[in-house]
Formats: sequence, structure tokens, C-alpha cells
Amino acid sequence: MRVKLWGTRGSVPAPGRETARYGGNTSCVQVTLAGGTTIVLDAGTGIRALGLALDAAAGPIHILLTHLHVDHIQGLLFFAPLFQPDADVTVWGPPARGSLESRIGRYLSAPLSPVELRELPSEPSFRGCPGPEWTIGSAQVHAQLVVHRGPTLGYRVAEGDTSLCYLPDHEPALGGPLGDYEDEWISGFALANEASLLIHDCQYSDAEYAAYRGWGHSSAGDALEFATRSHARRTLLFHHDPLRSDDQLDALERRAVERLGEGAVGVAMEGAELEV
Amino acid sequence: MADRPPAPAQQSLQLILARNLISTLSTAAFIVDPRGTVVFYNEAAGEFLGMRYEETGKMPLPEWRAAIEPVDDEGNPVPADELPITVALRERRPVHMTNRIRGRGSAAERIEMLALPLIGTEDQHEGAVGVFWLHLDAPE
Repeated sequence: MRVKLWGTRGSVPAPGRETARYGGNTSCVQVTLAGGTTIVLDAGTGIRALGLALDAAAGPIHILLTHLHVDHIQGLLFFAPLFQPDADVTVWGPPARGSLESRIGRYLSAPLSPVELRELPSEPSFRGCPGPEWTIGSAQVHAQLVVHRGPTLGYRVAEGDTSLCYLPDHEPALGGPLGDYEDEWISGFALANEASLLIHDCQYSDAEYAAYRGWGHSSAGDALEFATRSHARRTLLFHHDPLRSDDQLDALERRAVERLGEGAVGVAMEGAELEV
Repeated sequence: MADRPPAPAQQSLQLILARNLISTLSTAAFIVDPRGTVVFYNEAAGEFLGMRYEETGKMPLPEWRAAIEPVDDEGNPVPADELPITVALRERRPVHMTNRIRGRGSAAERIEMLALPLIGTEDQHEGAVGVFWLHLDAPE
């Protein structure tokens, strides 16, 4: 599968000179399966540029939302294929009371939005994840609720010998150091176990984390510990704090490589493309 | 190398969060999965039992019951299917009971027991949390 990062920032878009290299758009990752199906992980502001680059007629598009915090759905109404009648778009999201469409519609409706979901020419389908595992195109998709504020899914997309685990908003060490827990008690562990590529929350520095415990995000140290415990083959640190500058992210990458090794870890950069 | 499927053993988020919570309590508490296995108990509960979770790991409910030896005020054993945790699992409702336990092999101590079923957002049954504490102030 091919993976392209269209948005790597957390919480709120952070454009500007200090964030230009790693990017200021919020969470959005494109996964192109061998059969041509496109999976889009989250609909942060990065999805706008993805929509302009996609040929919506080339195949079905499946948008997998981890949760409905604004930074993960803010770009949805700026996703061009939704305005193309021939586009085949399905939006998947976490199960909860009430339909996914009505929950997203609380944000994407008047007075907050000029366009209502029911007006979209593509008539997208909104579906709660049907279970822990289902098939999209040539991929098996696994979804599990993970530790974050509100119902939040992590995903594992597996195709043939390769797998991508996506945990952009995740605080597995909420209850204490991961070393205190057996594997089965670590949120998201089964999704990430031996994944070819793990994309994981790394919002806070270790020094910052104490002040933000319980906000639903990971420190760099916990993200790296989670990557080590789960034996992910490669990890990308993701969901950068909007205050994190490019220079700070460079330094983070150097420290991460020192700990996990060259090639085993990197810092997610908007525009990066990987063959997994 | 062929990709392995996700590891089969993974506790649900509800149980993970419940463990995170009761680990921080001084009140004795334990968690039971939907199959009735005690999958975790906290330090305070371990003091009742005289053994720590780190030493025992998970315990089938009969083993747990044998460890705490619940009895009524007359000293008669409380049947397994009448324990609050069992009723909470079976009937998916909160249950409260006052009885006695002999944990640590001591004389039966009067305790309050409360069991709460854990039911997910799609009404799926994720297990139950049991809480118990010494009944210190009420008359014998």
C-alpha cells in the first residue's frame, strides 16, 4: 500500500514560517490500496488538498474517522469529491448513540456551516464501524476503541503482508507507565502489534505531559515506549502540538532515532509519501 | 515475512479505563470480564485477600470467591449466583449487599459490596466492577 501524509498537526491548524516544513494542516492520511481503493484516515484540514489531487472517478473512497473532534473533521466539507455526483464516498466513524451522520451534522450544519450534509451531490454514505473487523477493497480493516477523550477508534489496515496502524489521538499511559502493564492491558496494543507502519500520537514533550495528563494524548517518551512494546517495524510520530516548531520537531526526531534506531522511527511530515 | 493478525488478547477500552480508575483508589475494587473472570483487583482489594494481583494474576470467579469466603451474618456461605458481582453480570444491573468475608483467613469482617455492570455505547456487555469496603459504623 502507498501512504501519503496530508496533515500531521494536532488540535488546530498551525500555518506559518515556523511550521512550514512539517506542515500546519490537521490529521489526514491517504492510503492507496493495491486494487485502487482509496482509504482516507481522518478528515482534518489536510483533506482539502487531498481532494484536489484525487481522481474521484478512479475508485471508491472510504474516509475512516477516528473520532469527531473538530481537528479530525474540519476539512470534510472542503473535500472536493463530496461535491462530485459520480464520486463514491463512504464515511466510517466510531459507534455511539445516534447516527454518525447526525453527530457529524451537529458541526457541519447551520449556523456553523453554509452547506448541510444532505445537500452534498455525491450523497455520501455515513456508517458506524460495523465491528472490530471488516473488508474495504483488498484490505482488512480492524478498529478498536482506544484511550482518548470521547469515543475514539484506532485503525489497522492490513493488505497482504503489510499493515498500517493509525493511532493519532491516543494516551495509552493514562494510568501509569506502560512498563507496569501486560500487553493485553495496553490500549491499542493489538492494533499496533508488529505493524509495518505505526502512526502514533506524540503531542507532548515528556516535560509537558505532566501538565496535560488525561487530555488524551501521548508524550514522546510514551509514544516511543508504545512503539517498542508493540514491535512496530517503523513508527511515525504524529499529531504535533500546534506550538511545536520545525526546529523542535527536528530535535525530536534526533532523540527518537537515538532511542529506536535509524529507519525505525521518524517525525511525520506533511507531504511525505511512503511505500509500506 | 507474512503479516501476523492483531494479537487476539486485548482487553476492551471499558476494562482498561476501569483498571486505570480503580488502580488509583484506596477503596478495594476489582474487575470482572464478561465471562466472569476476575481480570484485575487493586492494592486495597489485595490487602483483603492477603495477596497481590501481581502475584496471582487473573482468577476465575470460583477461585476469587474461595479467596474472600463471603458469608451472611449467620456464617452461612453466600452462594456464588447470589454474589453482587454475579448478579450484576447476569442481570446487567447494579447490585448492593451487606455481608461478611473472611479474606486473609481472619474472622468474618462485615463489609458493603457494590457491583456495577459495564455496558458499552452499543449496549455490549463488557463486564462489571465490584467495590467493597469495611462496614465500620453500622451497628452489628
